[in-house]
Amino acid sequence: MFRSQHLALKYFAAAMTLFGIMIVAGLLASTNYVHDGFLLGKLDFSVTKMLHIDTMIIWLLMGFIGSVYWFVPIELEREAVGIRLAEVMFWIFCVVVAVVAAVFIFVQYGPATEMSLWFINQGRKYVEAPRWAAIGITLVVLVFIFNVVGTAIKAKRVTGIMGVLMVDLIPLFGLYLIAFPSITNMSEDQYWWWWLVHLWVEATWEILIGCIMALALMQLLGTSRRIVETWLYIEVALVLGTGILGLGHHYFWIGTPSYWLGIGGFFSALEPLPLLGMVVHAVYDAGAHRMKTTNKPAFFWVMAEAFGNFIGGGVFGFMMTLPQINLFTHGTQWTVSHGHFAFWGAYSCGVLAVIYLALQKSRAAQQLDGAAWKWSFALLNIGMLGMVGALLVSGIAQAFYERAMGGSTLQAFIEGQTNVWFVQGIVMRLVFGFVFAAGYVVLMYDLLTIGKKRTAAEGLRARAAGGPA
Amino acid sequence: MTAAQMLGTSLLLAIFVLLAGCYGVLYCLARLRASRRFGRAAATAYVLQGLCAALLAFSPLDFWWKVLLLGSFVAYLPIPPLTWRLLENLHESGEQHS
Repeated sequence: MFRSQHLALKYFAAAMTLFGIMIVAGLLASTNYVHDGFLLGKLDFSVTKMLHIDTMIIWLLMGFIGSVYWFVPIELEREAVGIRLAEVMFWIFCVVVAVVAAVFIFVQYGPATEMSLWFINQGRKYVEAPRWAAIGITLVVLVFIFNVVGTAIKAKRVTGIMGVLMVDLIPLFGLYLIAFPSITNMSEDQYWWWWLVHLWVEATWEILIGCIMALALMQLLGTSRRIVETWLYIEVALVLGTGILGLGHHYFWIGTPSYWLGIGGFFSALEPLPLLGMVVHAVYDAGAHRMKTTNKPAFFWVMAEAFGNFIGGGVFGFMMTLPQINLFTHGTQWTVSHGHFAFWGAYSCGVLAVIYLALQKSRAAQQLDGAAWKWSFALLNIGMLGMVGALLVSGIAQAFYERAMGGSTLQAFIEGQTNVWFVQGIVMRLVFGFVFAAGYVVLMYDLLTIGKKRTAAEGLRARAAGGPA
Repeated sequence: MTAAQMLGTSLLLAIFVLLAGCYGVLYCLARLRASRRFGRAAATAYVLQGLCAALLAFSPLDFWWKVLLLGSFVAYLPIPPLTWRLLENLHESGEQHS
C-alpha cells in the first residue's frame, strides 16, 4: 500500500469519529425538542445543533479527502507528491477540529467584537468555525490540491476523472473563501453565504462524489474507464446545468429581486431529471453484474446512494421547491427532513462505500461479507427513513397550522409548536435517532472487524502478495 | 392558496417525481428480465404520473409552473430508454476495446 493510502485510512478513522460525534450532538439537540430546558445553561440547543451541523460537514469533507488520497495512487500509479506535508496537515486538521469543538462546547459565545470572530465563532451557519480555524482548513485544502495536482504533473498523466477532479478543486477551495468576510447587510450576507453552502453542496460536492464514485465503480465492479468517464461527463453537465442556478431556490425570501422566484423554481424543478438517469444507471449495473461482487457492503452502499439521492434530493426537494409551496415550507422541519435525507443519500452512503472498498484492500480480504454490515445497513437506513418521515409529519404540521392557517404570527408559531402532529413527529424523530445511533455502533464494530478473520489459505495468499497475513 | 390546497399540491408534486422513479426502475427491470409484466407496470407508472400532472393542472399553482410540470412529464418519458441505450452502447464498445 502507498503512504497516501495509509493517510486515507487515517482520514476515514477521523471521519467516522466525527460521524459519531455528529450523531450524539443530533440526539442531544433533538432531545431539546422533547424536553424543554434539557441541559439549559450547560450545553444549549444552539451549541448541540451547531456541533451536529458542523461535524456533518467536516466528516463528509474528511471522507472525500480520504477517498481521493485512497484513489490517487491507484489512478496515477505513483505515490502522492508532498505526502509528508499531507500527513502533517492531517494532524493539524484534527487539532483544529478538536480545538474548535472544545471552544464551541466550553466557551460557546463571546462579545460582538472582532476577537470573537477570530477566536470563538464567526456566527454563520455551517461555517461557524472562527477565522483562525477557517484559515487552518483553507491551508489543509490548499495542500490537498497541491498533492492531487502535483501528483498528476509528476506522473505526466491526466485521466478524464483526474481532469474533472482537478477542475472541481478550484471552486471547492475558492467558494470556501466566502466563509471569511463579515457583511453587515443581512440580505447581502445571505446572498453570498448561499454561494458557499449551495454551490458546495449541489455543485462542487456533487462533482467530487461523482469522481469518487467513478473511481469506486472501476475498483468495485471492474467497470471500464471509458464507461465511467463518459458517464461522469454527462453527469457533470446535467448536475451543473440544473444545480448552479437551482441556487435560486434559496433566494426566494431573503430580500433578493423577484426574478429569482422564476429562476430558482425552474432550475430546481429540473434537478430530479439527472437523478433519474443515475437510478437507471445503478439498476443497470446491478443487473449487468447480477448483484455479484466481492464486496457486498460497498455494493449495497453504492446502490443506497443512487436511490437515496433520488428520493432524498429529488422527491423530497421537489415537493417543496416551487415558490408557491416554499412560501409555507421554508425554515420548517419539512426542510430539515429534506436536508437529512439528501445529505445521507447523496454523500454519506458514497463515503461509506469507499471506506468498505479501502478496508477490503488494506486487509487483503478476498471477500467482504457477513451479518454485521447487513444489520448496520438496515438500522442506519431504517433510522434515517424513520427520522425523515417523522420530521416530514412535523414539518407539514408547521406549514399547515402555523404558516398557511395561522399566518405565521407569533401566536401561530406557539400553537404550531404544541400541535399534536408536530409533537408526535418530534418524539418519533428522537426514537428513530436512537435506531440510527444503534446502526452506527454496529457499523463501527463491523468496520473494525470485517475482513480480519480469514482462512489459512487466504492468509498465505495475502502474505505472498505482501499484505498483512 | 389555502392550507388544504398547499398540502394537496405538495403531496402531488412528491408523488409526481416518485412515480417517475418507479417508471425508471420498472423500465430497467423490464429490460433486465425481458419481462412484459414489468413493462406494463412501467407504462402504468408513467400513466399514473400523467394523471398526477393532470391533477396538478387543476391546482392553484401559477400557469407557467403547470407548463413546466407538463414539460418535465414529457421529458421523463425518454430518460430511461435513452440512458439504457447509452449504457448498452458504452458497454458494448467497452468490451470491443478491451
